[in-house]
Amino acid sequence: MSTPETPWPEYARALTDPARAPEKPEALGDLRVLDCSQGNFAALFCSSILAEFGGEVIRMEPPGGDVARLFSPRGFLHRGTGLAYLVEARNKRHITLNLDTERGRDLFARLARHMDVIIESARPGQMDARGIGYRQLSEALPRLIYAAFSARGQFGPRASTPIPDYDVTAQALSGVPYTTGEPADEGLPGSSVPTKQGNWVAWYVGGGWGAFAVMAAVVWRWASGRGQFIDCAPAEGEMRFTDCDIPWYHASRRVRERVGALNICVFPYTLIRSKDSYSFIAGFSDINWAGLTNIVGRRDLAERFPTTKHRIQHAKALHAELEAWAAEFTSQDILDKVQDYLVNKRGPGTVATARLNRPAETLAESHWWERGVFQKVEDPDYGELLLQGPPWKMSHTPPRIKWACRPVGADNEDIYLKYLGLGREDLRALAAEEVV
Amino acid sequence: MTESYFDWTSKLFDRSRVFDKPEALRGIRVLELTTLVLGPTTADFLGEFGAEVIKVELPPGGDTMRYVTPEATFWKNASLGFMPENHSKYHIGIDLHTEAGKDLFRQLTARSDVLVENFRAGTLDRWGIGYRRLSHINPRLIYVADSGFGQWGPFSLGRASYDAVAQTVSGMIGITGFPGRPPILCGIFIGDWFGGLMAATAALVALHHRAKTGEGQFIDLAQSEGLIRSLDWTWIRHGLTGQEREPVGNQDEALVPAGLFACRDGFAGIAAPRDNEFQGLCAAMGEPDLAADPRFATLPARQQPANAQTLYERIGNWAASKTRAEIEALAEEHGFAAAPVVNAADRYNDAHLRTRGTVWEYEDPLYGPMVEHGPAPKLSATPGRIRWSAKPVGWHNMEIMVRLLGLSPARIRDLEAQKVIGRWAARPGPCPPEGWSPG
Repeated sequence: MSTPETPWPEYARALTDPARAPEKPEALGDLRVLDCSQGNFAALFCSSILAEFGGEVIRMEPPGGDVARLFSPRGFLHRGTGLAYLVEARNKRHITLNLDTERGRDLFARLARHMDVIIESARPGQMDARGIGYRQLSEALPRLIYAAFSARGQFGPRASTPIPDYDVTAQALSGVPYTTGEPADEGLPGSSVPTKQGNWVAWYVGGGWGAFAVMAAVVWRWASGRGQFIDCAPAEGEMRFTDCDIPWYHASRRVRERVGALNICVFPYTLIRSKDSYSFIAGFSDINWAGLTNIVGRRDLAERFPTTKHRIQHAKALHAELEAWAAEFTSQDILDKVQDYLVNKRGPGTVATARLNRPAETLAESHWWERGVFQKVEDPDYGELLLQGPPWKMSHTPPRIKWACRPVGADNEDIYLKYLGLGREDLRALAAEEVV
Repeated sequence: MTESYFDWTSKLFDRSRVFDKPEALRGIRVLELTTLVLGPTTADFLGEFGAEVIKVELPPGGDTMRYVTPEATFWKNASLGFMPENHSKYHIGIDLHTEAGKDLFRQLTARSDVLVENFRAGTLDRWGIGYRRLSHINPRLIYVADSGFGQWGPFSLGRASYDAVAQTVSGMIGITGFPGRPPILCGIFIGDWFGGLMAATAALVALHHRAKTGEGQFIDLAQSEGLIRSLDWTWIRHGLTGQEREPVGNQDEALVPAGLFACRDGFAGIAAPRDNEFQGLCAAMGEPDLAADPRFATLPARQQPANAQTLYERIGNWAASKTRAEIEALAEEHGFAAAPVVNAADRYNDAHLRTRGTVWEYEDPLYGPMVEHGPAPKLSATPGRIRWSAKPVGWHNMEIMVRLLGLSPARIRDLEAQKVIGRWAARPGPCPPEGWSPG
């Protein structure tokens, strides 16, 4: 302990800099994944995570390509593929197979023998009815991990619904839009409504849960030698995140309603208008509120509203006070003031603030580029693409992007030869029968 | 021949048999030194699937989340905001500002598989209990550092973060809500919860690597970077076209049609982007001709902004005349997607969610009958489960100090007297319910 140590940020960077990822091993290099989902970005994000960590992920599309390749804003296609798909095809091999044919189902079952994980998003019971669901495959493959995505799950009174899984319906079912947005009695009628997140948040949450569950099953397989069936409904994934909605209803039969940019538990934890934009600002515990009122130069507010209860009761008035102060400063000024207070330890309490970013403003910040959060990936098939990188920095087995996407069926020859010993002639015959 | 699919799945996943099955993460010990939501969820998700989670708090006040409860109202002296991310944990109180406290913490780390912390970058390193030190004590340790901006890089220096900071800096708020209106926060702490899920997933990946090599490792997870990852096509479009993504309210630009719509009795999500689904929706609307209209017949046509706008208006007008249940029934009949925008009461009383354990009833020894959201994904062989609720600060001091560290009762009393270990303050948040008495 006597030697002078490298400062923490330098040490941490040397440990985890994603620029050095290619020198390091991949955690899931031994995991083979077959993702035959269709039109479902929860499933696609699930297999993306496994692919980022090094799993050999094979995307199986119907011969015309997955409809997910068409889910793109304004129908924008880049070299024939939609933008959302180009984000979630990373590190995946791409093959085609027609599961509507008997030959296709037979090939699927044979491929499954070589897989550790299968991911699908068919209507519950559909794969089973085709004879290639978990029930049938697991008989010969007890180590198989099989993850199925659906709107309402694989069991329970509503499981047999034919309704497919989409992000917006999953968001609706999660309960999150109910508590998001401007209150009905404020703002304008058209926009003071339950509001969805702009991104496909339920799909991303659902896919995250899928990858988590697959990894839990992989860990358990070390101990047991056995695989299992994973039932993942993205709506339930996001539901798990609904803070204290259910405990509060249980305790007091109260339903949480929309509060716009406020929070029902604490104040301030809110967005305020600044001279040039908006800023998020938080300092809600008593000591942090003291810190914030020091920064604002309004110690009287700390004295008049000393407890959380006082502050949330007068949240709207206090919000107006903070906005009156912020009107004279840019969001950067506010951040500078807060950092000056924190870094120079000018008083008690911790205050957090941030400028509300448009996406282009986030893209302009060097922090994310240094950390590999944004990357320009040179893809052999699709050219240079700006992609968001994996969110983790890891010392020993860092995740990485190796390529962005492959055209429909581009890996048919490689994969069918590698796993099933099928040569070009076999594939030609299968193509003639519309199997691949 | 065999039983029906849903008979089979209902047995395979039977909620009443959960406790007869093993746990995926049995034998994995997680030590947690975290507050608020991001760190606690990281450990909680691992705990739901069988890890033993020991939550270390600074006595007597403990985790800040013990004071974040709706309308600042406590329930049985507990914070309702603290419960959803603190299940089945062992709660111990150690003052880590003391040398003896740090020493106890190091001993606990030596016996743990995963450590989760969410201090500002470098804090624990300064305290002598960071990765640099602990990885020598326990080379198998998987060290998860949760933060707002990461452990290095220009924004990592001394900057505090919360969920909503991540929502703000990631661009998520910028693409959410209605054009021209003030920005809104997501109704939940999405940056925390999603970050926790990402961190917990990485810990599992690291466990897999450790099973092969014996090596632990360091994981740096920034919640802002988790949300950036989740913003689907925002970034790639900017890279290819320079186009900025604007908020568009409740409609989807890429899946058309897909959105939230006002109905007679509330709001519903409706989605029908595949052509066959769209044909079903048109039939349900009583306008089958719409599906043949060249402006709407194919997804690429519907995605054109002018066509999408026309379509969204027509669907909106139709939905306004229906109840949520009517729309859902029509969706089942005609093969498109619809779902009500539900609230807490709807979920609490939902028989489907109860059957699935997504709404989970149990009885806690301290708080009595409880209802919460249970584990999200359902695993057939190793289902997740809730065993008990969050407990007061230092509730399990004795058990952990004796069972895990082998300290004698006299030594524990000593440490208590020196305020190295401690229990709850006598105020709502960290303390037990009224009328509680030991033994």
